[in-house]
Amino acid sequence: MPLELLLILVIGGIAAIAVLLHLTGRSNKRVLSAASARAAWQRQFPESRVSQLIVADNGHAALIRDAEASAPLGLVWSFGADTVARTLQDIDLARTNDGLRLSFADYSAPRVLLHLTPTETNSWQQMIADHSAINSPLAEA
Amino acid sequence: MDPLTLPDVTQLAVPIFIAAILGEFLWIAIKGRGGRYETRDAVTSLIMGAGSVASGILLGFIAWGFFMLLWRLTPLDLGTSIWVIGLCFILDDLRYYWVHRFGHRIRWVWASHVNHHSSQHYNLTTALRQTWTGTFTFMMIVRAPLVLLGFHPALVLFVGGLNLVYQFWIHTEAIKKMPRWFEAVMNTPSHHRAHHGRNPRYLDCNYAGVFIIWDKMFGTFVPEQDDDPVDYGLVFNIATFNPLRVAFHEWVAIYKDVTQPGLTLKQRLAYAFAPPGYSHDGSRDSSETIKAKHLARNPKDAGSPGL
Ligand SMILES: [Zn+2]
Ligand SMILES: [Zn+2]
Repeated sequence: MPLELLLILVIGGIAAIAVLLHLTGRSNKRVLSAASARAAWQRQFPESRVSQLIVADNGHAALIRDAEASAPLGLVWSFGADTVARTLQDIDLARTNDGLRLSFADYSAPRVLLHLTPTETNSWQQMIADHSAINSPLAEA
Repeated sequence: MDPLTLPDVTQLAVPIFIAAILGEFLWIAIKGRGGRYETRDAVTSLIMGAGSVASGILLGFIAWGFFMLLWRLTPLDLGTSIWVIGLCFILDDLRYYWVHRFGHRIRWVWASHVNHHSSQHYNLTTALRQTWTGTFTFMMIVRAPLVLLGFHPALVLFVGGLNLVYQFWIHTEAIKKMPRWFEAVMNTPSHHRAHHGRNPRYLDCNYAGVFIIWDKMFGTFVPEQDDDPVDYGLVFNIATFNPLRVAFHEWVAIYKDVTQPGLTLKQRLAYAFAPPGYSHDGSRDSSETIKAKHLARNPKDAGSPGL
């Protein structure tokens, strides 16, 4: 097959499929409830015992505290129609116009933008900062 | 037939791939079951597929040069009769089984293959989520015996292409089960769904390309279980749709692990070549520990397929 034709087919095909999926509502993000956020967390960390779980107002993320006090906080969030989860170690936390930006030291999970209400932004930021201060090597020394 | 003019079947199949994806999508939309599609997931898979073809065009000369070298060395030439093509297809499928098994059990090869498993979806676009870095795994070595036996390199690549094209249609939830005789001999949507599962039971099973008999012969067959629906994706799912990150994340992870301070040479080598999940301090889970921990939590599953 001539390369030009292959390129047209591939680029045209991908674009057509993308438009079709988007227009039929396949770009919608998963909305989490307390129960589904917990299930999504346990799906990634089956051994974890959740002691506290706070779902964001928009349902696109939840903050998780493990029963083990020394364990890092966890975050589970909507990833397209699915979910992903990470523990909050080695992170950079920054405020944005409508929430928080978490950057991970993880090439497969570079960053997540959390869209939060102003109250949530304050409390989540506080919780993450407090918790990582408790667990940082400096605090142990 | 001149073997050097055999068609590149994966390129020729592109229009069929696109039509089949549209067909599957419509089927799901109309029936309201049989799978899920997500925009960014699908687009990422398709870009991975296009990139894989591009990487084949750019880097294919390395494997090709290697095979032609072997072809000049071997005194054997089996020709291209229909029987030889058929035999080559079957032997190449055995080759595929082992390359795929290495792809899950040797981290160096997994770094390339992981991206095929990096979607949490399972539809026809997932089939096209193919590696960009296959050349760097050196798995072309597993094809060497075929060329040395007298199968022309062009024929070997041709049947390998047919093998990949066969595997396209099995990436679907729209087909539940094929007829019993077919399920017994061939790789099917059901068998390959299990292969894409991150459930402890389904880890490291069903490596087949076309014929499922290899898994039955080598003890890696696990039938899809009605009471354990397949949870698609990686044991530790990635959180990015960026094709570059999808293509290279495990290579980056290997680099970080191998170059961390304070390791012995043996530990560094293990980070690159041991089964995925190896860690020098036992801090990570491998398929074995994941299965063991699952059984500790669910003792009733002991002895069931894959556990
Ligand atoms: Zn695989
Ligand atoms: Zn597959």
